[in-house]
Amino acid sequence: MKKALSMLLAVIMVLTLFAGCGEKPAPTPNEELSAVQQIIKEAEGMTLEELAKKAIEESNGKTFYGVGNSSRGKSALPLFIEYLQSIDSSYTLNFEWQQPKNNKIFEQLTADSLKATGTFAMTLIQDGNQIESKMVKTGVLDTFIPKDWADANNTTADAYEGYLPLQTLNKVFMYNCTGEKSYDNVWDFVAEGEHGLFMDIDSEIVGKNFLYMLTRDDYSTALKTAFEALSAEEQAYFQPTIDAMASEAANLGLTENAKYGLAWIKLWVGSYNAQTDDGPICNTLVSKSATDQFGLLVYSKLRSVEESDTVSKNNIKVAAYQDGYTGLGGYGYCHYLFVTDNSPLPWTACAFIAYMTCTVDGFSAWGKDMGGYSSNPTVAAGTEEKYHHQEGGYVDGVNTFDCKNDRGYEWWADKLVLEDPEYCASVAFTVGSWIEVLDKYSAG
Amino acid sequence: MNKAAALQANPAAVRRNKVKTFFSKPHNVILLLMGIVLTITTVAPIVAIVQDTFKIHPGTIDAHLTGQVSGYTLVNYIDLFTSPLAKINLWTPLWNTVLLSVGSCIVAILFGGIFAFLITRTNLSCRKYLSSIFIFPYIMPQWTLAVVWQNLFNSNVVTGTSNGLLASLFNVQMPLWWCKGLFPSLIVLGMHYAPFAYILIGGIFRNMDANLEEAATILDTPKWKTMFRITLPMVKPAILSTILLVFGSSMGSYPVPHYLGLATLSTKYVSLNSKYTGEASILAIIMMIFGVAIMLLNQRSLKSRKNYTTVTGKSGQISKINLGHTGRVVIAVILIIITFFTSIFPIISFALETFLPNPGDYSFLYTGDTNNLTTKWWVTSENVTENGMYGQKGILYNNTIWTAFKGTMLVSVSCALIAGTIGTLIGYAVSKNRRSRWANYVNSVAFLPYLMPSIAVGVAFFILFSNKYFNLFNTYTLLIIAGVIKYIPFASRSSLNSMLQLSGEIEEAAIIQDVPWVKRMTRIIIPIQKSSIISGYLLPFMTCLRELSLFMLLCVQGFILSTTLDYFDEMGLYAFSSGINLILIVTILICNALVNKVTGASLDKGIGG
Repeated sequence: MKKALSMLLAVIMVLTLFAGCGEKPAPTPNEELSAVQQIIKEAEGMTLEELAKKAIEESNGKTFYGVGNSSRGKSALPLFIEYLQSIDSSYTLNFEWQQPKNNKIFEQLTADSLKATGTFAMTLIQDGNQIESKMVKTGVLDTFIPKDWADANNTTADAYEGYLPLQTLNKVFMYNCTGEKSYDNVWDFVAEGEHGLFMDIDSEIVGKNFLYMLTRDDYSTALKTAFEALSAEEQAYFQPTIDAMASEAANLGLTENAKYGLAWIKLWVGSYNAQTDDGPICNTLVSKSATDQFGLLVYSKLRSVEESDTVSKNNIKVAAYQDGYTGLGGYGYCHYLFVTDNSPLPWTACAFIAYMTCTVDGFSAWGKDMGGYSSNPTVAAGTEEKYHHQEGGYVDGVNTFDCKNDRGYEWWADKLVLEDPEYCASVAFTVGSWIEVLDKYSAG
Repeated sequence: MNKAAALQANPAAVRRNKVKTFFSKPHNVILLLMGIVLTITTVAPIVAIVQDTFKIHPGTIDAHLTGQVSGYTLVNYIDLFTSPLAKINLWTPLWNTVLLSVGSCIVAILFGGIFAFLITRTNLSCRKYLSSIFIFPYIMPQWTLAVVWQNLFNSNVVTGTSNGLLASLFNVQMPLWWCKGLFPSLIVLGMHYAPFAYILIGGIFRNMDANLEEAATILDTPKWKTMFRITLPMVKPAILSTILLVFGSSMGSYPVPHYLGLATLSTKYVSLNSKYTGEASILAIIMMIFGVAIMLLNQRSLKSRKNYTTVTGKSGQISKINLGHTGRVVIAVILIIITFFTSIFPIISFALETFLPNPGDYSFLYTGDTNNLTTKWWVTSENVTENGMYGQKGILYNNTIWTAFKGTMLVSVSCALIAGTIGTLIGYAVSKNRRSRWANYVNSVAFLPYLMPSIAVGVAFFILFSNKYFNLFNTYTLLIIAGVIKYIPFASRSSLNSMLQLSGEIEEAAIIQDVPWVKRMTRIIIPIQKSSIISGYLLPFMTCLRELSLFMLLCVQGFILSTTLDYFDEMGLYAFSSGINLILIVTILICNALVNKVTGASLDKGIGG
């Protein structure tokens, strides 16, 4: 009984969380469905195996083009082909997986959408804000909700409102612990003299979305709670900035508590040390010489750090894992899956999407590493069972690198700022423009 | 009725005759054809960018401000120039860009020019070695020098990152202005483009007629006066060409300011592109306007270049300045030390990086313990993530790297052959019709793409070839088209410079002997100016090998080496990017040696003796 109850709660929790990861526009009753949308509608009633058969029928001997922000689509495709071959051994599929740089994926998909039949069958894409405004509202991409995924999440394709997330990735606050300094409150990261290492918000838009989200009432309130946990002396430092933001919050049409979000954003933008990628940030923080430095970076970067005389995973701590830490521990953003509205192989695209979201093997290209959490609770559980990320820091049964013991999505969920595409799109030109005029810290 | 009277009576026959005469000259045919082709290939991208500045892009500021999702508007111009963000998005990057471009030109010309002078006009020791080693910074992708700069000078105290080599080994902390921003950017770009100056100026120094200087010597003219009144005016065309090339390149350089934290028009272009797409295109237009202005200035001086013919049919030996026994050695040692840091140290650093356990982890240097070295970045043959390989196989087994290498070779060789040939022909034809407006037009239109920022050209080609009729994104065809158009100026400038030095009497002698044009070209013109013409092929080849700004928007990571290299660099996987750098350097050296063996010419050939 307890097990069933906990499972039910977990499902509800996951659904609640992913509901915030993007919402698909409600179709108007008289809206005409495109050919691909009709296939999607049909596909949403099929199991993975049924979809696989359709895919075999459609794409045997053809070439499948996918495009995504993650290079691992390329690793997932051969597994998908193997799966189809387990049903029909004569099945073959050539494939090409492209990973455009910067923001080009949006332009590439837009350009491809002009053709009657596109090149790309599907996409795996991040940045809910731009997806909402450039891809979904313009009809370039269509959401497909696999039946098995919906079942696992205790919903249906029709009832579910949102995009289909493959996974949530987290960027978390980590600090170098070779010195005496520690960070036990989210406000410590914007305290006087702090310069956290962070990917430039102009380079990676999901970073900007994180800042947008801080102005939503629930996250602003979380910041307020963390602020109240500070000592009087610490509060005195931040109070003038917070007070000054009250009128800004009103001007921007935000709630009263948004002043805490705006103050944190102002201090963060004015202090973070912009880097080109999370890789160099990780390389820096794990080094002995980076005493008292901290960063906000993708958690999974820790997976590849090798121990040496000056580099160690034990040189860093994940702020949120520390006892007594108060406030947000980082932010989460989703990788969404879509079928292109002019997909040349829509059935195969749907089958591939179902395979990635509904099976442990399909998700393994991402699941084998820490810090990426499947949106399907069954797959998430299976992945943990297979890869034991919660004990990722254990060596020969001994907890050697605590920072690598991934607490899992359920643990992280209420400690992360989760991206809501609709909210981001709604404030992109209000809060967004306000952020752009803030003075940025420049180390050069 | 005599013939003249007959022609007078028949204007159509006169026109026919004129047309026939016009087309009987090969350089006229070249100019006509190239004029038409280049007008289309050059103007179309410009039109695409201009159109983009007026277009409404869904999900961007213009759509937000107009409340529409499609159509055309002036709002991008209004917002860029008048909004509160104008300073951040326009004026500051513009000012930084101008400073960076001018600074890079100065560094490149001073460094490259002095070096060229010492190598070609003095009896300096180790000239051959120095000449070969000097071009290395140009062989390497420009941002790798920026990465080396960071690895050397960054420090925890100043830049807030982990310590670089100087801070780690000697506890030396360089000031912030030295580590990030304008100063390192212009030094790195200046060093990177100094070989331009060296090749162009050195080529003229080497080929110039000594008679003029000898005449000055006979007339007892002071050496400084000879230098400023005779030598420098003769290399003025090369200096102007260098300015043109370096200014245009620096202005459109994305990776160096990006890595060294300087906001320029090109970095702003990339950062604005997602939300301010139309405004980003205006920045591209501004960069183009700057480029065109520089070109017009250059054209004014081109008209007066007639007096600077340096290669004649009766040229003598060039005289070399004697630096003295000690001077020639001391100066050589100084140059060897300087080139060690600009050319050798980066290579050692790249090689070392591929044996470090973690990117930038110099534990071995601090401890001397060989356990802090590894060969995993080269020899790992499995796709493992828990071995610090970030899911990659070692360089020797890494399919992505080797596929990209093949792609790069295909694009580079194609671009070099096509751009080199077209550019050489344009240079020849323009030099033959120096006073013709059409020739000037062809020369300008061929050069125009070089003045446009590479990123902007990339975007323009992306827009042009990504529609319902053509979709060439991520194809070698698109890269080759963009590369050829962009690199024709290398060959045309190099060819034009050398052809302008060539006295007309040489070809005229052959014409009198009724030697056909092809034979004149292959037996007289090209052999005389072989080194400059080969430079016209090698420069596009080398540039193409590590071009990023132009191609980064036209293909995906892993398609060619530069995008793969940049991907690994941005990810902080310096072992892979360093390995790719080594592959590039070795490739270029092999190609240079092969060309040298087969044709007797090379990029630095003859400059070093």
